[in-house]
Amino acid sequence: MEYTFDEYQVVNKKRHNRFKYRGSKTAYLMLLPAFVLLSVFVILPLVLAVVRSFQDYNTGAWVGFKNYNYLFTLDKLYLKSFLNALIMTAIISALLLIFSFLFACVLRAMNNKFGKVVKVLIYVPFFISGIIASVIFNLIFNYGGGLITSICVLLDKDPISFTSTTPLAYIAIIAPTLWLGFGYNTLVMYAGLINIPEDYYNAANVDGANSFQKMIYITIPNMKNYTVLLVINMVTAYMQMMEIPMMMTGGAPLDTTLTPVLYLFNSFRDPSRPDNVTIAGAIILMLLIMAVNIVVFKTLRTKRSEDA
Amino acid sequence: MRNVNVRKLVKTIVFTLICLIVAAIILFPIIWMLPAAFKNKAEIWAIPNEWLPKVFYTKNFEKIFTSNLVNDYNFISSIGSTFLVSVIAVVLSLLVNMFAAYVFANFEFRGKNFLWYYFLITMFIPGITILLTSIRVVSVLQMTDTLLVLIIPGLVSAYNIFFFRQFYYGIPRSLEEAAIIDGCSRFKIFFKVFLPMSVTPMVIIGVSVFMGYWNSFMWPTLTIVNNSEIAQVMQVIRILNSTYSGEYGIVIAATILSIIIPLTLFIIFQKKIIAGIAVSGLK
Repeated sequence: MEYTFDEYQVVNKKRHNRFKYRGSKTAYLMLLPAFVLLSVFVILPLVLAVVRSFQDYNTGAWVGFKNYNYLFTLDKLYLKSFLNALIMTAIISALLLIFSFLFACVLRAMNNKFGKVVKVLIYVPFFISGIIASVIFNLIFNYGGGLITSICVLLDKDPISFTSTTPLAYIAIIAPTLWLGFGYNTLVMYAGLINIPEDYYNAANVDGANSFQKMIYITIPNMKNYTVLLVINMVTAYMQMMEIPMMMTGGAPLDTTLTPVLYLFNSFRDPSRPDNVTIAGAIILMLLIMAVNIVVFKTLRTKRSEDA
Repeated sequence: MRNVNVRKLVKTIVFTLICLIVAAIILFPIIWMLPAAFKNKAEIWAIPNEWLPKVFYTKNFEKIFTSNLVNDYNFISSIGSTFLVSVIAVVLSLLVNMFAAYVFANFEFRGKNFLWYYFLITMFIPGITILLTSIRVVSVLQMTDTLLVLIIPGLVSAYNIFFFRQFYYGIPRSLEEAAIIDGCSRFKIFFKVFLPMSVTPMVIIGVSVFMGYWNSFMWPTLTIVNNSEIAQVMQVIRILNSTYSGEYGIVIAATILSIIIPLTLFIIFQKKIIAGIAVSGLK
């Protein structure tokens, strides 16, 4: 059989594709379980959530942005919980970044057996859940006989109630959260620090740079990628904080430590709160987290291509 | 020269001190908690509080092991069912995610790009956004109050697929080509070549999946409502916490029992886990 040039090209392409796509069937088969599970338990609920955020809860009629509007004008509680979470996320992330960076620097300098043991020890809380951490910290913060109350009584001072004022309630939530996250963040920072080539520091030493200059011009700029990744992780996790606020303060005082997820948890099966409104609120939260992620990923990618 | 040595020594001492202080602060809450499990009602909230109990009280543990504590909730059986759920989930989750990662790393097929982004986008969907509608989905599937609802919805994780794919990229292509020429099916290659080579990432991801299931609270609380037999550990501890706020020693004893298994895992695998952070931190 004779082919014209064009026909030959088509046949050749087909042959090439057949080689390139060999084992396609196996590929689809092996991908199937993950695809089905993801579609049923993530994508489908997401589509349903988007749809329901534009519907009336009782009648199912399309209501446009009414649910979103409700959040911003009528029931300000969700919006408030959102702002609470933002404030706490900002404080916790900033503190964790500073503490874990500084301690990672110390660990890098402690390049011995003892340093290794310390690395393992500070990582222990990472295996503890928010519920457990709250039980443990309750022994310290409890007004009616916790450690801090005991110390206050011994010092002849009035005991401190950590749910009476907002700044104190923040402390009761932030302390266990920092405790849980410190080890992981420190070890990621440490991994970043030991990846900075020693040559940079040697060159700086030749130029006569002092420790402070080395920190500002070498260490901090080289930690950009790691810092950015940690910030993504923290924003994603702490905007969804729920177990610790629920156990430590329950949202008190006056809902200033109520978080969006706790709001959702409390309003579940509560007929006075329309579900679709909270779903709309959760979608706003998702958009915020996605926006942070996309912006950060973009900056990371450009950084890498510059390096290459 | 001596001056340099002295400075070095001072530096080492200062840094050692900082390490000691930080480690002490981190371990303090746990150390403070441990004896509280042996305190009775009168001592646990005594003012001023002492670290060690005056009377060594073992009833807290006895009660946990012998009675139901709250309604039908039995703490020991919740440990059993949570362990069962977590172990099954680890095995299934590793298998499903590794399959997908292997396909994305080693196959060319139509729609690959689309599917990759379809998977990847789920990484950015927070659990809270799909919480209420997921509950709707599992109740339509009649999974509520069964072990299935605890295990299945959380199995696939785009992040874990991403992690394994990165690892498989590091395995030389020629290894697979050689196996294909020898007449191995792609399935067989996965089990004979790729699976044995990925023990380290399996440990890292396996432990993190286990911890995710062991520590999960909200999902079991909202989906296991009328079946206290398979209630999960964190769910029961929270119920104990609100019931026994006076006899808090019981809650502490339960807490200690609940961290034994995760802590054992950590001690066994700590080297791999700590080394894994350097890789997983990079994503």
